[in-house]
Amino acid sequence: MSRVRRHADNPAHALPGDDPEHEPRARHGRAPDVMRLGGWTPMREHGEDEPVDFVIVGTGAGGGTLAAKLAEYGFSVVAMDAGPYWRPLEDFASDEMHQSKLYWTDDRIVDGENPLQLGANNSGKSVGGSTVHFAMVSLRFRPEWFKSRTLLGYGTDWPVDWREMWRYYDEVERVLAISGPLTYPWGPKRPRYPYRAHELNAAARVLARGAEAMGIAWTESPIATLSAPRGLAPPCVYRGFCTSGCSTNAKQSVLNTWLVRALAAGAEIRDLAMVGQVETGADGRATGVRYHREGRWRFQRARNVVVAGYAIETPRLLLNSASARHPDGLANSSGLVGRYLTVQANQAVWGTSAEEIRSYKAPPSLAISEHWNYEDHGKDYHGGWCYMAQGPLPTLWSSTLATGHDLWGDALVAEMQNYNHSVGLKNVGEYMPQARNGVTLADETDQYGLPIARVTYSWCDNDRAQNAHARAFMGEALAAADVRDIWEQTNDTCHLNGTCRMGDDPCTSVVDADCRSWDVDNLWVCDGSVFPTVGGVNPSLTIQAIACRTADRIRDMAARGELDRRARPPARERAR
Amino acid sequence: MPGATAMIAAGLGAGLAGWWLAARRRPARREPGTHRAARRLNEASALLGLSVMADSGLEHFRGEYHNRAMFAAPSVSGIQIGASALGAVSDPARWSTPHHAVQVASAATGVSGLAFHLWNVLRRPGGLSWQNLFYGAPVGAPFALTLAGTVGAAAEHVRGADPHHTRLLGRPAGPALAAGAAFGLGGTVAEAWLLHLRGAFHNPLMWLPVTVPPVTAALLARAAFVGRGRMPVTRRMLEATAALGFAGSAFHAFGVARNMGGWRNWSQNIQSGPPLPAPPSFTGMALAGLAALEMMEARNARD
Amino acid sequence: MPGTDPRRDRFPGYDVTAKRDTPSWNAKTRAVVDERLAIDPEAHRFFDTTEWRTLRALCDRIVPQPADRPGRVSLAAMVDAKAGSGKGDGYRNVKLPPLGAAWRRALAALEAEANARHGHPFSALPATAQDELIEAMRRGDLHDLAWGDMPPDLFFQDRVVPDVVKSYYAHPTAWSEIGFGGPASPRGYVRLGPDRQDPWEAHEDHGDGHARPANERIGR
Repeated sequence: MSRVRRHADNPAHALPGDDPEHEPRARHGRAPDVMRLGGWTPMREHGEDEPVDFVIVGTGAGGGTLAAKLAEYGFSVVAMDAGPYWRPLEDFASDEMHQSKLYWTDDRIVDGENPLQLGANNSGKSVGGSTVHFAMVSLRFRPEWFKSRTLLGYGTDWPVDWREMWRYYDEVERVLAISGPLTYPWGPKRPRYPYRAHELNAAARVLARGAEAMGIAWTESPIATLSAPRGLAPPCVYRGFCTSGCSTNAKQSVLNTWLVRALAAGAEIRDLAMVGQVETGADGRATGVRYHREGRWRFQRARNVVVAGYAIETPRLLLNSASARHPDGLANSSGLVGRYLTVQANQAVWGTSAEEIRSYKAPPSLAISEHWNYEDHGKDYHGGWCYMAQGPLPTLWSSTLATGHDLWGDALVAEMQNYNHSVGLKNVGEYMPQARNGVTLADETDQYGLPIARVTYSWCDNDRAQNAHARAFMGEALAAADVRDIWEQTNDTCHLNGTCRMGDDPCTSVVDADCRSWDVDNLWVCDGSVFPTVGGVNPSLTIQAIACRTADRIRDMAARGELDRRARPPARERAR
Repeated sequence: MPGATAMIAAGLGAGLAGWWLAARRRPARREPGTHRAARRLNEASALLGLSVMADSGLEHFRGEYHNRAMFAAPSVSGIQIGASALGAVSDPARWSTPHHAVQVASAATGVSGLAFHLWNVLRRPGGLSWQNLFYGAPVGAPFALTLAGTVGAAAEHVRGADPHHTRLLGRPAGPALAAGAAFGLGGTVAEAWLLHLRGAFHNPLMWLPVTVPPVTAALLARAAFVGRGRMPVTRRMLEATAALGFAGSAFHAFGVARNMGGWRNWSQNIQSGPPLPAPPSFTGMALAGLAALEMMEARNARD
Repeated sequence: MPGTDPRRDRFPGYDVTAKRDTPSWNAKTRAVVDERLAIDPEAHRFFDTTEWRTLRALCDRIVPQPADRPGRVSLAAMVDAKAGSGKGDGYRNVKLPPLGAAWRRALAALEAEANARHGHPFSALPATAQDELIEAMRRGDLHDLAWGDMPPDLFFQDRVVPDVVKSYYAHPTAWSEIGFGGPASPRGYVRLGPDRQDPWEAHEDHGDGHARPANERIGR
């Protein structure tokens, strides 16, 4: 390469002393301005001895959203995240392997009959959480799922009403400027998506052809990446590295939406801050969090603690916070902390098209069918599922072929050369909550000396029946779109929910409808852990909607003076 | 924000250029008013042709010219521009059969382009859906070539006609042209509305081409059917629409800069950003409208 | 078939690194990929000489590479670096030891299997014999005591695939081989439809002679 040209480029990245993976960026009264190269934005700071209204553990879809809303409502907020504070424009390479720095890659033990794949698959370690690498698919629950026990005969009812959730979905869709179709084919009426749907790539058109041949509806996926400019964010350039982090800021992640608002409203964000325990006082109430930052353990006092570490780190932290008063872990009088971990199906069918598909271009899931979320007939199992177009990049595709299709050596090398012709469909399906699936503490410890999580997962018969139906249907749809040499991938799952489920009864849930723990009335859980059931759609929009609702409820409770003490004692205490 | 300032400055500058083109009066020479109107119409059709050539050239490049027919639009519009430009500068002006034939052929090419584009949209999954109207072959775009050819052909008719009894399709030329220009303006508005809807009207300025030109088109249509005497409001609106066309290109240049990598990433953003050559088609239609208006005003003055 | 390269020259003349100095690569990407290209193929700090020899032989069979092709992927060195870093993928099956220990045990076990079956080290076996052992490992059909309680099939699935297969396809040489567009920021893509490609994407050979000149123009 004799001619070195410098254009259309970021400036040299490595500034001396700027190593976001080892040195915190958010300190000394400023935080990174994620929209500008090398930029900074002012940040209010709080002393550790001064109790803040809320310390929030985790800055993803739950914690980041809540931090913004609570700060805007006038509460003092410190939000901590174990991960780095990225500036996507300068920190993100177009490279799958390097970008694994976005994932939670600390050790976790997996077991059960169907051990989960974690890390890149579903776990983020960044300010902004997993939304920094999520695939941006932003779907609403089917209304009946909030009462699936009553209306559909399975799972557990949520303690919230779908019409209320519908309003919070409206809010989140506006904040993320979701790009979606002008009319949505399923479910009750919803407002027009703020931005128009993206152009379908070839992989999405295969889904569309297949769905039309099968006689079911399809549409453009509502996704959180821009189809037109917005502020300093450009529209999507269809680079296709979405799940390796968006280097252009077109992706509307928590990092470049809610957290920008949080900082502007006076919240403090502490990056590279690993919380080890929620501490409690003599009265059993939370007093703050013990956390590790800049090489030592520290303590932040707080009037309220919100745990928002997603469905593995949240129960892990609560279990690691056991004390004499809370011997089984914090908020765990029900014994349900860590239980009912519920992931979602991620079954796939793949094949080869005569056309060049090149699914590495554009966001991976531009087209979707929610037909089997809204159609209850023709199923021999409970729960719904949707399916979407796919766009695996080379390393993901190679491991899919190796583990899902048993290829290695010459056969793998040859099949990988069909990469540009490969195309597939993958579902997101509703697995059943099971008490045996969950998170416990392993004997081993991590780099902070904290016991690591042991994650146990097994499918039930209902899950397997749904998998079989989904694969068979998607296989037919793929064949109907003239795709050949179709094979089924059965070994994948996606998303993490449950483990601190919400409910109406302290005996059968960990938190109430406001995400407030039944046991400790100044301890809250706000992330996917609170889901009693998971539905057949990606959870990020619902997590953010729940966070918005929680923030509004906290504001209202504070106004009524009910924040320091629960207005009504939990049912069990009342019974005593 | 410096970007916004630059955008407003560039937009104003380009707008002023369009305004000048529309509002300038030729020095009073002893020539029939029909000649001046014909010249104006040739300018209008040349500008429309230019817009079509650049826009289709770029869009069909994006489509990799995968069908040979895609060469038709940029090449036919190139010839059409030549015919219009020759007409605009020919002096003394007279009816030209070859020019007229080129213009009619261009209009016909536009019509067949409409059919091609509609076929492209309908054969995609989803058929006549927003997705395909937004991202398939733009159904309305070839209409601009039809307009260019029609306006150019009208120029030849006007040029060759009796200055006192100019008629088009059996109707008095001024009102007929005004009605045609109003219709053409309406089509151009529809195209801009569709594409600005695709952009979610993310910038308030994107409302301009779907608010100003429709008023202009309505005034022009009114002038065609019930126009009396001088019509200064209609004239000013036509001039404003002409200015808007040029300003639009400047705004679109700013839009390209807002895409990732800005102008440094031109090889992508010229194609995926807002189309630079599209807005001047408003200027072209406004110029045609002005020619019609001048003919009507001259006739009204004589009556 | 061992000994013949299974690849076809499907994207003749395409070299994804030719785009290094175009708007397709940002500074961070250049730094990251430059580092990967500079990996010394002989570098091994984690594995001892015997393990290293076995690992290299294993990598050569998991993803065979033509001997004469420029831009050889330093696959074993990438595995060594990952094993030495102790940085895993974020989950470990309860039946597997930690990353480095799993590799050490598996390499020793493969060596033991080779010696027991053929009386030679794994690296000295003909390719067909190596392939038989690898396939037996993938099916979980190896039982030497050196495996301990680690299931060979689980080792294949959770260590060989992420550490060897994914490393190979994280390399520009592999991207060129499969016609992947490679790094794409700030410049992404415009043409998204079937059988459509941007001028800066790999052109597939359709036998009409167009692909090579088009591919050789990329980045110039």
